[in-house]
Amino acid sequence: METENQVERPHGTQRVYIGVFTVLAVLTALEVAVTYLPVPRIPVLVPLALTKATLVALFYMHLKYDRRVFSAIFAMGLLVGIGLILALIAIFAPPLLDMK
Amino acid sequence: MNQEVAPGTVEVPSMGVDNRKLGVWTLLGSEVMFFASLIVTYIVMRGRSVSGPLPHEILDVPLTGLNTFVLICSSLTMVTAVAAIQRGDQRGLRRWLIATALLGLAFLGGQATEFTMLIRHGLSLSSNVFGATFFTLTGFHGAHVFAGVIWISFVLARAFSGAVTKENAVVVDMLGLYWHFVDLVWIIIFTVVYLI
Repeated sequence: METENQVERPHGTQRVYIGVFTVLAVLTALEVAVTYLPVPRIPVLVPLALTKATLVALFYMHLKYDRRVFSAIFAMGLLVGIGLILALIAIFAPPLLDMK
Repeated sequence: MNQEVAPGTVEVPSMGVDNRKLGVWTLLGSEVMFFASLIVTYIVMRGRSVSGPLPHEILDVPLTGLNTFVLICSSLTMVTAVAAIQRGDQRGLRRWLIATALLGLAFLGGQATEFTMLIRHGLSLSSNVFGATFFTLTGFHGAHVFAGVIWISFVLARAFSGAVTKENAVVVDMLGLYWHFVDLVWIIIFTVVYLI
């Protein structure tokens, strides 16, 4: 027996996919350009990378359209991963967390 | 007690979602932690090399930027392949999966070129802390891309035999999730290792 949840449906349109691709390509070009400019890198590049990663997760991995349980499972891994990164930086390289 | 399941159908799980897809998401959740540990090790150890070569002296940002673009293109072809089989377009599925596999191989070729160049310039796993953490992080990512290409090959073989249909499009959906995750991880690695 097949439930409604198991029927695979297209999650987005080709126009959305191409739009996301265009944004990803432009942001990548912008990231590379930033390395040649006299601007602080971390405040500019980290938000750009997080924006790109979020776009991939939401639209290409379909988290925007799919069941919330998938987002929850992924978020748990993400939470532990981010906690791990912050904790180890705090222990071994605390100056990196100094925002002053 | 074993319960017979007819071919081509899936047992209805208690969570109301396909167990196989749930399994892939669980795998990806654990992969986040795996790559987080490698990335933070790179971050912490980055400035601790007592001898060269150092990242700013040796890394080729334009080449890796091009490789990043190749991986982004492969995500577009993969999501198009998934959409094709969800419409029942088997020819489109095969065409876009082949394109994705070729782009994956192009990425690996770019990475092999980069590694060769770095080794010629004296950077290796044992040259300094930067070399050890750099090759471990990017090498494991490359291994994931390689595993993805092998997975695509298996799905392609099934697609050519006509075994992948609109009704079991989830097998392509799972592959797509893995592939996009590998792209997502590279987006972070590219910024942390090459740009910052």
